[in-house]
Amino acid sequence: MNAPFFKFDYFNSDVSLIIAFVIGIAFGIALEKGGFGRATILASQFYFTNMRVLKVMFTAIVTAMLGLYFLSVIGFVDLSLVYLTQTNLLPMAVGGVIAGLGFIIGGYCPGTSMVAVATGKLDALVFVVGMIFGILVFGEMFPWIEEFFNSGYRGTITIPSYFNLSYGLVVFLVVLMAIGAFAAAEWGEKKMAAKTGKEIL
Amino acid sequence: MKKFFSNLSLNKKLALIAISLGLVALIAGDPYGGTTIKVNEKSIALSTVNNSDKISVNELADWIIKNKSDFELIDLRNEEKFNEYSIPNARNIPLVQIPSSDLLRNQKIILFSDDNLEAAQGWFILKSKNYKGVYILDGGLNAWKEKILFPKAPVNASKDQLAEFEKMKEIAKFFGGQAQTDNSIEQTKQEIKLPTPTVNKQKNVPPTGKKKKREGC
Repeated sequence: MNAPFFKFDYFNSDVSLIIAFVIGIAFGIALEKGGFGRATILASQFYFTNMRVLKVMFTAIVTAMLGLYFLSVIGFVDLSLVYLTQTNLLPMAVGGVIAGLGFIIGGYCPGTSMVAVATGKLDALVFVVGMIFGILVFGEMFPWIEEFFNSGYRGTITIPSYFNLSYGLVVFLVVLMAIGAFAAAEWGEKKMAAKTGKEIL
Repeated sequence: MKKFFSNLSLNKKLALIAISLGLVALIAGDPYGGTTIKVNEKSIALSTVNNSDKISVNELADWIIKNKSDFELIDLRNEEKFNEYSIPNARNIPLVQIPSSDLLRNQKIILFSDDNLEAAQGWFILKSKNYKGVYILDGGLNAWKEKILFPKAPVNASKDQLAEFEKMKEIAKFFGGQAQTDNSIEQTKQEIKLPTPTVNKQKNVPPTGKKKKREGC
């Protein structure tokens, strides 16, 4: 048995939709449990008053990274079958700025807005309507921005291949970085709480 | 040591586990090199029997007309022949370059050559390198010319067959070929002109098919 299961044909694309649904539900529950269904928590990350987003994200990254790394080292996961996003440098930077602005203004990212809608938050509903409208506008505009959209194409880049480092070293460095970030976040939150006198959510 | 560990808070325990796993990772090696998969000769043999490894030219023509882009069409012949004529949207990777090609394992790859032989060789090379979705264009370019570009009118055709042929005519026209009716059969082979090749994709431009696959948050 090898993973990814879908790429190894253990189930067809119809079954994959059911599995995606189940995983999606679990993912939504995890996000809600992590506090990502509340705009105040998400937005406060940007003001460094509540570092929950950073902590949850880094925990997820480190867990997934260690799991994937060791499962592929022992030969269970075929990493070459895992899709990696391709890089278009400038378009991605521009897109990142737009997404970041939307995140601060709206208080949600696309995924968390869905979670918040599921728990009945009105602001999230408005956010999702806006997002769908934005998708429509983007789709209609696409012929005009297609050239820019595809510019700066760099293929699939990974940190180990770009910096010529071994995968193991990068894994280790990311773990260190995460733990450093956790420590800094805890310290910063205490400082902020002392300054503002507010309890952290 | 045990007491030290149990006295730590859960967060610190998790951090410690992560660090030790990270340390092991330093010497554990390359995750991309570690995958070993046995070539399952039985499943390879089976797929040749029930033809699940082949795509017919009609199917392919249908996909191209419908502008499907979830597959990569690979012409295994040499460059000279490729420049002369190839199926629209095909990419040229001569058979000798197949083992070192940049084809992705998660793509649907359709191989063709003049006939089935070279495609079958390429198919086996890729299969043994653990490529999953590799297919052979059944009959190769010869079948493509015969059935798609220059289909022949059926002799003593039934009504259904004639309707089918009308459809084939349209398909042939789409690809720049011409259906062979009774009158035109008398034409000599030299008169049949292959359509000029369409402009092929340049390198380093993301293939359009990939756009669909963009994944993310």
